[in-house]
Formats: sequence, C-alpha cells, structure tokens
Amino acid sequence: MNDFFTLFNVELLHSTIRLSTPITLAAVGATICERAGIVNIAMEGLMLIGAFTAVFFAYITGNPWIGLLAAVIAGGIFSLLHAYATITLHLDHVVSGAVLNILALGLTNYLLILAFGHPGTSEPVPVSLAEYQFAVPFLSQIPVIGPVFFNQRPIVYMSFLLIIFFTLFLYRTKTGLHVRASGEHPLAMETIGVSVYRIRYLAVIISGLTSGLAGAFLSIENSNVFTSGMTGGRGFIALAANISGGWSAVGSFLASLFFGFAEAFQYKMQAARLLDLPSELFVMFPYIATVIAVAGLVRKSRPPKAVGLDFRIEKQAD
Amino acid sequence: MTAREILYKYRVIVFILLFLLAGSGIILYITSYFAGLLFILLAIIIYYGFHFLLKDKRIVLSEIKSIAKKMLIPLAGITIAVLIGAVVMIITGYNPLTAYGALFYGGFVKNWHVSLLNAAPLIFTGLSVAFAFKAGLFNIGAEGQYYIGAMAAAGLGIYFDWHPLVTIPVIFLAAGLLGSLYNFFPALLKVKTGAHEVITTMMFAHIARYFSSIFIRNFGGDPSTSSHPYVTDPVLPSNWLLRFKDMFPWANYRLHSGIIIAILTAFFVHYLLSYTRIGFEIRAVGSNPAAAKTQGISTGKTVFIALMVAGFLSAMAGVNQVLGLDHKLYGNLSTGYGWNGISVALLASNHPVGVIFTSILWGALDAGGQYMARTQEVHNSIVEIIKGTVLFLVVARYLYTYWGQKRKKKETCNE
Repeated sequence: MNDFFTLFNVELLHSTIRLSTPITLAAVGATICERAGIVNIAMEGLMLIGAFTAVFFAYITGNPWIGLLAAVIAGGIFSLLHAYATITLHLDHVVSGAVLNILALGLTNYLLILAFGHPGTSEPVPVSLAEYQFAVPFLSQIPVIGPVFFNQRPIVYMSFLLIIFFTLFLYRTKTGLHVRASGEHPLAMETIGVSVYRIRYLAVIISGLTSGLAGAFLSIENSNVFTSGMTGGRGFIALAANISGGWSAVGSFLASLFFGFAEAFQYKMQAARLLDLPSELFVMFPYIATVIAVAGLVRKSRPPKAVGLDFRIEKQAD
Repeated sequence: MTAREILYKYRVIVFILLFLLAGSGIILYITSYFAGLLFILLAIIIYYGFHFLLKDKRIVLSEIKSIAKKMLIPLAGITIAVLIGAVVMIITGYNPLTAYGALFYGGFVKNWHVSLLNAAPLIFTGLSVAFAFKAGLFNIGAEGQYYIGAMAAAGLGIYFDWHPLVTIPVIFLAAGLLGSLYNFFPALLKVKTGAHEVITTMMFAHIARYFSSIFIRNFGGDPSTSSHPYVTDPVLPSNWLLRFKDMFPWANYRLHSGIIIAILTAFFVHYLLSYTRIGFEIRAVGSNPAAAKTQGISTGKTVFIALMVAGFLSAMAGVNQVLGLDHKLYGNLSTGYGWNGISVALLASNHPVGVIFTSILWGALDAGGQYMARTQEVHNSIVEIIKGTVLFLVVARYLYTYWGQKRKKKETCNE
C-alpha cells in the first residue's frame, strides 16, 4: 500500500498537465464552437489531420515549428468543411462531424502511405518539440507548482496562454459577446445586424485551429511519429471535458486536467505493476472516467440554448 | 385477340418465369457467378416491359421516373467521387483508367464473393446505426457492440456443443442481448442525466476494444505457441454458419449464409420501423420529440428501445464474422465495421433496405481495392478516399436540396 502512495508525486502531476494539453486545447475550441451554437464532433478528425501535417512538415523541413504552424493551418482549413456543411448547407452537425472523422481517417492513412511508403506509422521527425522543454526562470523555483506548471514543453505553455486568451475573448470582447449570443439567440443577433453565419464560421475555424495544435502536440511534442488513428478518442473526450467544464474555457481546462490525470495515472499504474491485472484495464481508465464525467459529476450549468440547432435566415419572398 | 390480351391471359406463366429468372440469377450471383447479375437485370427489364404493355403507360413511366430521381443523387455523388479519386491518382502518379478497371473487375466480377463477405457485417452495423437514427439518436459506438457480439460468439462457440439448429440461434440471441445490455448504460445515462450518446457510446466502444484483447488472451491467445499471437481458439465446426459450398459445390468455399441472415434482418427491421407500433413511436420521437410527447409516447422508453435494438444488431455483426467467416476472434485488428456502418447508414439515408445496397457497394469497394492493390500497385487506401468522397454525397444530397430551395426562392421572387 505504501508503494501505491508513492505514485502520487510531482512527476505524476507534471505528466497530468502534459497529457491533458491536447484535451484542453480541443476542449477550449469546442467551448468557443458550442458557445456559437455549433456542435463539433469532427475534432477527432481535425486532430488527426493536424498530427499528420505536423509530422509531414517537420520531417521534410527538419524544423518542428514549421510543422506546428502547418498543423494549425491544416486544422483550420479542414474545419472549413464542417463550417460549410453545418452553417451554409444546414447539414446535421453530428452527421457532418462523423463524416469528416471518417474522411480524416481515410485521408491521413492514404497520405501516410504516399509520404512515407508504409502504413501504420511514419518515420520519426528529426527534431521534436520535446527538445524545446524549458523551465521558466523564477516561476519554476516555486515548490510543487513550479516544476509542475513551469517546466514544460512549448505547446503546453501555449495552451495556458490560449485559455487566458479565450476566456478574455469570450467575456471581454465584442466578438466574444457575439459568439455567445449566436449560441443563445441567433435570431436576435441577426436582428441587430450581426451575421450569425460569419460568427459561427469564425467559431468553427477557431476550434479547427486549436484541434490542429492539439494534433501537433500528439505527434511532434508528445512523441515523434504519426501513428494511424493516434488520437484514440481524445476529440470525444475533449467534448466531454467541455460539457463537464460547463461550456467555459477555464472549466474545460479543469475538466481536461481530470482526464489528463486519468491518463497519467493509468500510465503510472501500468509501469508500477502494483496490481497483477491486464494492462488494458488501466488503458480503459480514461474512457471510463469520461463516461462518469459526462454522466454528471459536474452539473452546474446549462448548455447554450441554440447549440446544435440549425439557423436559417428566412428571407421573405415578397 | 390482341397481343395485349394474350399477354394478360398468360400473365401467371410470365410471372413464374420471372421469379425463376430472378431467383436463379440471385443464386448464381451469390455463389460468385457474374452472369447472375445479367439474369437479374433481364428479369427487371421484363417486369417493367410487361407492365408497360399491360398497364397505363404513363403510370409506368412516372414510376421509372421516380426511381430514377431517387437514384440520381447517389449516382451523381458516386460519379463525383470517382472523378475526385481519378484526380488524386493522377496527381500521385497512377493511371486512373487501369486502376478503376481493376477496382470494378475485382469488386463486382472477380472477387464478388469477397464483396458479399464484406457486406454482411456492414448490413448489420448499418442497420444498427440507421435504427438509432430513426429515433434521433446517433449510435456512433457500433464498433464496440460489434466487439461485444464477436466476443460472445467466440466464447460460446468454443464451448457450446449441441445441434447447430439450437446453438446458432442461441448464440445469436445471447450475443445480441449482450450487445443490447452494452447499450443499456448509454441509454440510461441519456435518459437520466442527458449525457449525449455520441460521447458515451464512443467511450464504450474504446472500452470494448481494449476488453477484447483481455478476452482473447483468456480464450486461447498465447503469444508463445500460436503463429498469430492474438487469436482465440477456433469455434467448434458444428457452430459454423452454413456455407454455400455445402449446397452448391461450385460456390466459393468462404461464402456463408450470413449474408442471407443479414438481408432478412434488413427486411425485418424495415417491417419493424414501418408497420409496427414501436416503429411508429420511434419515428415519431425521432422526427419531433415534443409532438411525440404530447401524443403520450414515452421518449425515455423509446430511447431505451432504439439504443438496445441498435446494440443487438451490431452484436449480430460480430456473431456473423466469428461464426461465419473467421471462426475465431482476432485481436488488435481495427475492423472498422462500426465506423463503416455509419457511412453505410448515412448513404442509404437510414432506409433499412437501402442499407443492403450501400453495404454491398462498400464491400465491393473494399474487395475491389484489395484486388487493385495486388494487381496495379495502387495502394488500396485510395478506396478510403473514394469512400469518404462518396460519403460526401450525403452532403451532396443536402447541396441538392439547398440549390433546389434557392432556385425555388428565386422563382417565387420572379413571380
């Protein structure tokens, strides 16, 4: 039993932060997207696209930063498909997302073979972002909090900044107000002369950009290769994080920490071999945690009123 | 006596001939003879020609027209997908004509039996997704219920030694019920807490996938002895589904009767949805929950029924694979029948009978893709792109209605 408690150390917290990063990023994107009224279950596919693009460009150029930039852009471009399908064509949000997930899986598998010549995994990138891990001066000296939060890799820091940025964006800017309004009462928005379509496009693209970044984290920061279907349901876990986080950026971050902890803890338990159980039981742990979380551990807020609903501008014929 | 009257007098004989032609065509086609398709086509042409001669010509023409209209959008989508696939192949340096030739020849002529083998589980998972869709639910985790069904079939099939007429239905039933039970939790959470079934069934799918590896290790998967480490022991031969080779010696040795069960299930689901009270309630809740509620239909109960039937159907896909084709359960094999089931259901716009055809199309694309990869050195994941783009015709259908509405609006404006 004593061994069990030694698992809970600074290192566990450190990897909790690290492993929650992709979920945080996607969940923050989902927050913006759902606040504007669009359900985005395509994030799983967007992350895959981002992960592949990151590896591809980092492999060709040898520079992981270019890979990161390409991943973000690719995520944004691919999310345009979701925006176009749901906003302009009025397709059901969940259907469009599912189709894009399938398309993304097929596309990345095909491109993987074209680019690297064999299915399954890519070649490792020459330089991964893990080598850019750095400790923030002064802040990393704080006991416990310092090494946990301020001795991380680049995308983790970016996720911290993005949480602050998107919280301010949602509650302190005019566009943020418009985003929230188009999720609550799109008709009112249209009445005062703000294009709901444009706001929703913006929100979907934002979720595409953050999902692309999350994908880049998975492939060129947390590892150095792309594996077919490497997201492993994280896009859906991010959705769950957004919901149990109460549709706010900070809430999403806190819920993501929970899922990140579930993942970090299962790695620890696997490695520690304290219990003689099949390792798969531990791998299941984050998924079970997700089910429990959406089932209502946290139920303090309500979803945006118009989320998932189609909005159609009715132009009168006469 | 005019020709028309003579035809009318002997219409029974003509119909018997038609049935014989169509039936033999189907048997020939299923037992991997391409000529069977020509028989079926001939039967269809005779049927319509006969009606054309006997009945009012306008009715027949309008009937053909309405079928053509329904087929127009899927066909347009497939054409667009084929063109996009060709562009991708040209860009990546392959000859699209020979590649597509191989794809078609492999999928519909040479390896037709593989297409059917691929189609059978897809019909089940497609039906599962389509059934849930009718109630407005998205059973995105069909893959997980597929694994549950496959595990149940393997577990029971290894030990259940009795007459096949008893064992096979019992295995189907038991596996199906387990699949239903697996969807019980998402349904419960959906009704009690409002947790979205997309997230819960998806998570359950991942859980089932990892659970299957544990299962396989306990049912024979021994890395040290077997050549393929992650495989269960084989199912008893008495529990295998009937193979066509046992009845028709010329049939392919792998083809089994699962495809027949799948097609019958599709028609049963169609009956269930269109002609029964439960089906009506499910469709009512799916199309307008508020209105259904005021009519006294319990939405919660309907959600339970829809998700549990969906789980049953997906689990049947797993049984079909284990008892029919593989006779054992392979691990770490991303089968993708659950995901493809979503595509197939969307493509058929959730019509149970339509699912049969879209599944066969999907199966043929897979089979043809493998053949193409073997003969043309084009990797078969190009098929994934074609599939994804064909799926885009779901969007294309909406595009069509979108344009249609736009045009209509313009017309009313002009008036």
